Amino acid sequence: MVKAMNHLERCMASITDQPVDHLTAYPIACGVNRRLLSTPTTYAEWASDPKKFAAGFVAGQKYFDYDWTFGLMDLSVCAHDLGAKVRMDEQNTPFVTDPVIKTPEDYEKLVVPDVTKGRCGVIVEGTRLFVEQLKNTIVCAGFLEGPLLVLTQSAGAEKVFMDMYNNRSAVHKALETITELDAEMVKGFATTGCAGLAWDYLWGSYSCLGDKEYDEFEGQQKYAGRLNKMTADNGMAFCIHNCADLPHLDTQIKGMKPVIYSMAYYALIPGSPSPKEVIGKGYCDGTLVGGNIDPQQFVRASVEKIQKTTMNLLQEVKTALCAKGLHSRYVVASGCEVPPALITKLENIKEVVDTTKKYGQVECG
Amino acid sequence: MTREEILGGLEKAVVSGNKALAVKDANSALHAGIKALDAIDHGLIKGMTIVGDKYATHEIFLPQVLLAADAMYGALDVLLPHLPVESAKKRIGVTIGVIEGDVHDIGKNLVKTMLTAGGFSVTDLGRDVPIDNFIQKTKEKDASVVAMSTLMTPTMDGMKQVIDGLVESGLRMKVKTIIGGAPCSQEFAEDIGSDFFGMNAQEAVEKLKGAF
Repeated sequence: MVKAMNHLERCMASITDQPVDHLTAYPIACGVNRRLLSTPTTYAEWASDPKKFAAGFVAGQKYFDYDWTFGLMDLSVCAHDLGAKVRMDEQNTPFVTDPVIKTPEDYEKLVVPDVTKGRCGVIVEGTRLFVEQLKNTIVCAGFLEGPLLVLTQSAGAEKVFMDMYNNRSAVHKALETITELDAEMVKGFATTGCAGLAWDYLWGSYSCLGDKEYDEFEGQQKYAGRLNKMTADNGMAFCIHNCADLPHLDTQIKGMKPVIYSMAYYALIPGSPSPKEVIGKGYCDGTLVGGNIDPQQFVRASVEKIQKTTMNLLQEVKTALCAKGLHSRYVVASGCEVPPALITKLENIKEVVDTTKKYGQVECG
Repeated sequence: MTREEILGGLEKAVVSGNKALAVKDANSALHAGIKALDAIDHGLIKGMTIVGDKYATHEIFLPQVLLAADAMYGALDVLLPHLPVESAKKRIGVTIGVIEGDVHDIGKNLVKTMLTAGGFSVTDLGRDVPIDNFIQKTKEKDASVVAMSTLMTPTMDGMKQVIDGLVESGLRMKVKTIIGGAPCSQEFAEDIGSDFFGMNAQEAVEKLKGAF
């Protein structure tokens, strides 16, 4: 039996695969946290005001008592500041309605914005504020869209994918500019005191790109390689979030070597790696992997059902960790963001955390 | 060129994602007296089926599929006006769109492409489609299928609203409905009264073909 640990002790032990009192938990509750604020707050307000953004995470941690957090706002933040039009509804995740890149020439017209302003400024400042309040309690990370994600948000994924072949050099020109933008954001996050920075590299998915395309348009040294190193050089743990199906695990875990890797599992999709397979194939040997409660269960399942789901996941993970000689390198998480909708059941988020506390002890025979 | 060479050219143009060549070969087919329907079925659809199979086995990926689809649509623009009215009428009509509040349409477009390649006549309503538009266009086009997609949770209930709208407008018994998108599931489809859930484009086509 391992003595009771606080969140920070448990997280640090998990990163280094030391024995823990129980596995760590982080249902990726971000936008949904706004519902816990004492003043009614719309999604648009939460995604535009650093204080409200931060207050959400603080309230969320207090209510759900999760071990980690990362400051995901939505995926349109950088594209918004690059000039894309973003619709911000009251209770829906903001999304791009009018891309900034419409012609091949537009790729070359992108200009790195002042990241201390706009929504880039909001997310960095908001992260600073929640880190200040939570850093002595849990491990906090910033959240940033990778270059290819920013580009697809700025131009539309379909256009970018076709232009990878039709206008290759223009796509690279835009990626170079966006990498500069991301580099500026890394410097900004480095001033917030966050312990880590989670990169959303969701196009590393075999449903979308092969190894060759992914390497050329994101994975290579001058894009992700440079940003990953810069993250570590600026004192932040390099982490990846990829909620796509069929993720490029060899590239993104064994190749890039993140400290933490957040991923999703799609049971219905052939080839989607289960937690057991991920652990068994050695992806947790050097990286703390997080997954895989189906986010829809936070909306549609009963408390009893999500408790059962969490218990099943814990059993699968603990068995696989023991078989591999590991102690704690797995986070019970949701793979994708917990749906920020008004119909999401807050009690289900809490149940995942509570069930992990109760049944997350790893005791190998 | 022989008929086989022209049809083979159309197939290859689609497989290689060469739109200019596909358009050229479509015109060549018409000039050679090949029926538009034959050029579609034995050239374009054959090519797109190969592309779909290669995508399913991860031999090729989304960029190549999108380029192939672009080539197919380019050739269809040439060939469809030459399709006899009766042949066009025989094709099962589908209205497809992304639910209001969501603009993620890459999956929808993939389904649209594979349905087109599967012989369906698809009316694309686009993305961020208001509920009423699904109903109106389905009625207007006399479609037999309503296909809906969303990648976002807050907009999932819009799918139920479309199905409710089909009931209220008296169309529900005349159409099959299918839903798709990452947050959807068979369970959700059953919850909202949809006939089908498609996990991916191939499955969507298979299920709809099976239904007719």
